[in-house]
Amino acid sequence: MASTEQTKVVVPLGKLSKAGVLSFLSAQGILIFFLIGMFVFSFFSEQFLSQSNIMTVVRQASIIGIIAVGVTVVIIGGNLDLSVGSMLSFSTVLVVDLHDKIGPTNAILLMFALTLMIGAVNGFLIGFLRLNSLIVTLAMLSAIQGFVLIYSGGQNVDIANQENTWFAFFGRGFVGGIAVPVLMFGLLAILIQVVMSYTGYGRRIFAVGGNPMAAVYSGIRKNWCVFSTYLISAFCVACAALVLGSRVMGSQNNVGQGYELLVLAGIILGGTSLLGGAGSIWKTVIGVLILGFIQNGLLLMGYPYYIQWIVTWVIIILAVWLDLANKRKRLFTSHS
Amino acid sequence: MFNKTAIAASVTLMSIATAHAEGPYRIGITQNNVGVDSYQTTYESAFEAAAEREGNVDVVVLDAGGDVARQIGQMQDLIQQRVDAIIIWPTNGQAVIPAIRQAHSAGIPVIVTNSKIAEAGMEFIAAFSGPDNVQQGISSAEMMCDALGGEGQIVQISGQPGYTTAMERAGGFEDRLAEACPGVELLETQPGNWNRERAQRVMEDFLTKYDHIDGVYSGDDNMGVGALNAAKGAGRADGIIFIGATNFAVGYDAIARGEYYGSIYQSPVDDAEAALQTALDVLAGEDLPKMNFFDTPKITAENLEEFDRPVF
Amino acid sequence: MTSMKGFFRGRAKIQPIWVFVIALFIFFSVMSEYFLSFGNISNILVQTSTIGLIALGMTFVMINGNIDLSVGAILGLSASLAVGLQAISMTLAILAALVSGILLGALNGFVVWKTGVNAFIVTLGAMLGVRGLIFLYTGEQSFFAMNFAFADFGTSTIGPVPVLAIIFLICALIMHLVLTRTSHGRNTFAVGGNPEASIDAGIRLGRHMMINFIIVGFFAALAGVLLASQMGAATPNLGRDYELWVITAVVLGGTKLTGGYGSIVGTLGGVLAIGILRNGMNLMQVPAFYVLVILGAILISVLIIDKKLNAPSAKEVRI
Repeated sequence: MASTEQTKVVVPLGKLSKAGVLSFLSAQGILIFFLIGMFVFSFFSEQFLSQSNIMTVVRQASIIGIIAVGVTVVIIGGNLDLSVGSMLSFSTVLVVDLHDKIGPTNAILLMFALTLMIGAVNGFLIGFLRLNSLIVTLAMLSAIQGFVLIYSGGQNVDIANQENTWFAFFGRGFVGGIAVPVLMFGLLAILIQVVMSYTGYGRRIFAVGGNPMAAVYSGIRKNWCVFSTYLISAFCVACAALVLGSRVMGSQNNVGQGYELLVLAGIILGGTSLLGGAGSIWKTVIGVLILGFIQNGLLLMGYPYYIQWIVTWVIIILAVWLDLANKRKRLFTSHS
Repeated sequence: MFNKTAIAASVTLMSIATAHAEGPYRIGITQNNVGVDSYQTTYESAFEAAAEREGNVDVVVLDAGGDVARQIGQMQDLIQQRVDAIIIWPTNGQAVIPAIRQAHSAGIPVIVTNSKIAEAGMEFIAAFSGPDNVQQGISSAEMMCDALGGEGQIVQISGQPGYTTAMERAGGFEDRLAEACPGVELLETQPGNWNRERAQRVMEDFLTKYDHIDGVYSGDDNMGVGALNAAKGAGRADGIIFIGATNFAVGYDAIARGEYYGSIYQSPVDDAEAALQTALDVLAGEDLPKMNFFDTPKITAENLEEFDRPVF
Repeated sequence: MTSMKGFFRGRAKIQPIWVFVIALFIFFSVMSEYFLSFGNISNILVQTSTIGLIALGMTFVMINGNIDLSVGAILGLSASLAVGLQAISMTLAILAALVSGILLGALNGFVVWKTGVNAFIVTLGAMLGVRGLIFLYTGEQSFFAMNFAFADFGTSTIGPVPVLAIIFLICALIMHLVLTRTSHGRNTFAVGGNPEASIDAGIRLGRHMMINFIIVGFFAALAGVLLASQMGAATPNLGRDYELWVITAVVLGGTKLTGGYGSIVGTLGGVLAIGILRNGMNLMQVPAFYVLVILGAILISVLIIDKKLNAPSAKEVRI
């Protein structure tokens, strides 16, 4: 069954004569998945393509999306970040707890500073000490969760006066009819996409992730590049924590648990390779939205929530396989 | 069969009572998942404080982090340490039974706290102490029925799938609602995993899916407030009756503001103190019933002043 | 100094993790009166057997330069099958559970082999999807074994030694021999060290990797059956996050994520280190919140020490 799905998409592409169209389509294979999926869901559920449903899905996806934008930069630089889930818990608990104690402005500033500090620790260990990013961020996942619990004493944190604080803006506000979380997601994605595509800094990150040795020989300060990707990732987590804290006006200590995997799933689905040196922010945006629409579409069709996990399993592998098959111009590997 | 168990249990109790006349006792407790929400955290500190006040009690406090396998390991560790009694807050009502049975055969009385274990394990425990969650579900159904005047469409946000408390509350609610209020239709149930953010998402999906929702029943107030947030965000909170359980401070405040109809008052401090007292009674050889429920009354705007604002 | 380095690098046949295990052992023996007893040591062995069995298989996969994130979910599925099918027959239930692990391992391996998709991605997908299969099969419910014979097996002993500890140690011995004394073991190192060269040397890379995925799938399923037998029950969330602990244990044991290097003896040390830490901190009543921080800090410290000791010869470690 898997292989028929595969040929359906690949064969017609091969028949197209114009090389430009071909390369565009093969590069945007994930978009085709996206459109087919939207079509199928809208066929089965009337509400699926309703404006309010689409807005709900995009708003719900924006927290994962904001984090995924940052993690994509880390991955392009050739590393991983599994600590974002715990970091999200940390930042959300912090900003919500401090809101009533030192006021929203100070709370937000302090939260950003401390989140960036955690990012700097990750960046130092991975960029300068050259430790393996998977294990370091795995260890940080555990350690940061511990810090959150120690900080809050295991208690939930709440904002007392929810009606009268401008902090509500980040999670519940609207600007020009667009929900602020969506707006933040969009702006961050555009900003970082521009940085990655059009600046020297972006090119250096790609170089470091693609071929670290060559990058070093060409004079790029690899340590600093890797370090900075973790600051970007932490910054995005802090933005996501603003949205989450403001949306819920309270936080549990494990609120971010499992986000690291959803974020990775979205990035992979978008087609950014985990090997580093390749990928794009806008692919990640598509990947995260696909995840959101799969979840929502299956629920609207009346399937229980765990069916989305099985569907994600199949789609993740198909999407990456499609991408690889296109690059090597054959469906299967030549290994025996 | 039932008699035999009762006799066996009382024999065990007698032998223990003679062995330890009046302490000092060493009591081990393995909790479900401290830190996952405030109820459990407050429970832990209340338990430690109560033991401190008791004076002649030395407690070993462990936390399973929600992992059944780790809880079983902790049971084995406590048996190994030969504590005088073990209090367990089961991570799962079934999977902990063999470990409880092991403690039972090692002659250590086991007190189950907060969340019941399955019927098959009842013969191995000395006592249960905690809230009656089926009754809580029933009370919530009655409140819902009253609030809606017997007519309407509602949705349910339940707790962690597979967790006894979640199943008992949902079961009690659904059964009683069907019986007392056939005019109220339960449209759909989705799990909110005791998590406010998750409940908020679930409610957002409900609001898109159903144009008309009259009431929401949530497995606890933490999730209920998440549902309330979602409805407020969609501008539909005014027409919806919110009912929860385990009254949290946020839920208490929302009742005071008139946004939230009602809940069930359940204090983790009562819960923890009841568990310790039950354990001490068992150790003192007192004759006490197997199921010891502490009182969990309904709380609405009408009787709000009778209750202190929850500390969690 | 150089001799110290040589010692810690394993030339003196004692791996650094074992130094750490011994240090922990002495530390907790002094700090807690309950630690150093036969009963407690066998408790530790039983408690680590779950993570330990999976880690045996994971060592092979990681020496290959791959990774398997789906082991926790496979464990959960096999536990549910082992308990859920007992109504039909105990033997069938256990067989079905083990076969499910072998098949899922084979599926992971086959997909990695044929599609060339990175094992991290393939098994990340499987981790989500297999968990979905568990919920689908169990209907979100926990299963409970009707008779206690199954649970009695999980808590039984041979002489004074728990059966689960014996099974774990025997499996460790077998896998050690397979890794060091057989051609499959040698190929495992060759493939991880230099995949291209191993193909030139005539190793059938795809099949070889698939066999190792089957091995880890089997061990995850075996661990699931044994864990279920300890509980006489299975819950749909069983095994969540176990992949993280397994990988942590294997890495602590000195296996390199880049592949080509590692050992079962080291993995055994890594598994014991985590088990002793958890047990010892429980006995000393370290609050659960601090345990998380301590485990994270130790993992990072081990990485730093390992990096310092191996600095000159280290390859760039990436996935």
